[in-house]
Amino acid sequence: MAAITLYDYELDEHCYRVRLLLTMLGLEWAPHAIDMVPGEEEKQPPMLALNPLGRLPVMRDGDLVLHGTEALLAYLARAYDGANTWLPKDAADFGRVMMWLNFSTLDLQPASQARVQALFGTTGVDAPLKEASRNAFRIMDDHMTKRGYEHGEWFVGEHVTLADLALFPSFALSRDFGIDHDEFPALRRWIRRFRNLENFTTMPGIPDYH
Amino acid sequence: MTAPTVWIPVALSSEIEAGASAGAVVDGKEVVVWRDTSGKAHAWEDRCPHRGMRMSFGFVRGDHIACLYHGWQYDTAGQCQYIPAHPDLDVPQTIKVMTYATKEANGVIWSTLSEEVPDEAIPGETDQVTALRSLYIDCPAAFVREALETASLPGFSASEEGTDFAALSDTVWTLTTGEDRLFIGVQRVNPSQTALHVMIAGPQATYAGAGQAHFSTWLETLRRSLEDGAPEKAASAPMTTAEVA
Ligand code: FES
Repeated sequence: MAAITLYDYELDEHCYRVRLLLTMLGLEWAPHAIDMVPGEEEKQPPMLALNPLGRLPVMRDGDLVLHGTEALLAYLARAYDGANTWLPKDAADFGRVMMWLNFSTLDLQPASQARVQALFGTTGVDAPLKEASRNAFRIMDDHMTKRGYEHGEWFVGEHVTLADLALFPSFALSRDFGIDHDEFPALRRWIRRFRNLENFTTMPGIPDYH
Repeated sequence: MTAPTVWIPVALSSEIEAGASAGAVVDGKEVVVWRDTSGKAHAWEDRCPHRGMRMSFGFVRGDHIACLYHGWQYDTAGQCQYIPAHPDLDVPQTIKVMTYATKEANGVIWSTLSEEVPDEAIPGETDQVTALRSLYIDCPAAFVREALETASLPGFSASEEGTDFAALSDTVWTLTTGEDRLFIGVQRVNPSQTALHVMIAGPQATYAGAGQAHFSTWLETLRRSLEDGAPEKAASAPMTTAEVA
């Protein structure tokens, strides 16, 4: 049995973030599939015992049980990335990564909600959610445009970090909720770069080019 | 009624790397812009002849672009060469994507959205350019132009006073302050959206880094005030040092 278990729903972008890091760190892990739609299994007693909030992702590593995407990502980076590239030691870069992690949780929440509406809803995507998502992508595109002027390839520092990993899915999946990539040239180049990283893995909605 | 054929900017050259593809919209018409691995840029109608899906969602392999949906592959002439579901089929010549005249000049990819090549060259060509950025604005092109005509572009090389706007053609504008000149390719996306493909008409030795950041920040401010419906703000408000840095 693998040491790490991820309570996982394949179509959930937050679970995908954790799968991405587990895979890119080359860890041994196993998914435990949870029927989120339509079963709402994450809100049933067995899962509530692991996360009283009734949300995924939830992860078990030996005796340790954690929930919440940011926490899972930060834990995995600290525990298993000996080189400290995903979560930099340098205080300023650490701060920058945390800023973008925060952005991915707060400011990309409309994008996440819009996608859930598009995939599982019946009434389409609320215009304000789409508008807020587009604004967030603009902020990201402006940032990466300026990073380009200083030859920066990633959101923070010289290496790919949790910032890139946490931001990547929302933009890569944006066509699911009707936002095209036309207007975001710097983000287009950045997701190409991200896709070319070793051990990159896709999810439904992020095509595998073959 | 046929409008004269003109070169229309669809992307900055630097935004489309070898092996990459992207969508662009001109007057509501969808275009795929892609670059083969030998480095040649192509602009086509963004529609796969198979089921009409957008080619810009697809991916480039060598000198072919493949449609994402069923993997049909097209060569640089738009001719379908390979259908995965029928690998042995000699693909009929009639299965072809509509290709458009495409060219690169001043660091910008231009297309006519037809096979025709205009008589007029692209005005304002210079050999020294530094890529700036594309700016997508939720305003009609005429509104953007009005704002730029009276805009005050803060100089980078020197703090010159006074900015000159010039429309060299329908799709090429320039903004000049002292030594500094922005070369702007104008893409009318639809009646309410405009894309500006902006280059600095000057050497990278002068503008790379700080100069690019300087003008990019100004463009962000411009976009914000245009979309707030107050172009005069961008035009007259002097930028503070903090905003520029
Ligand atoms: S729609 Fe393009 S291959 Fe089927």
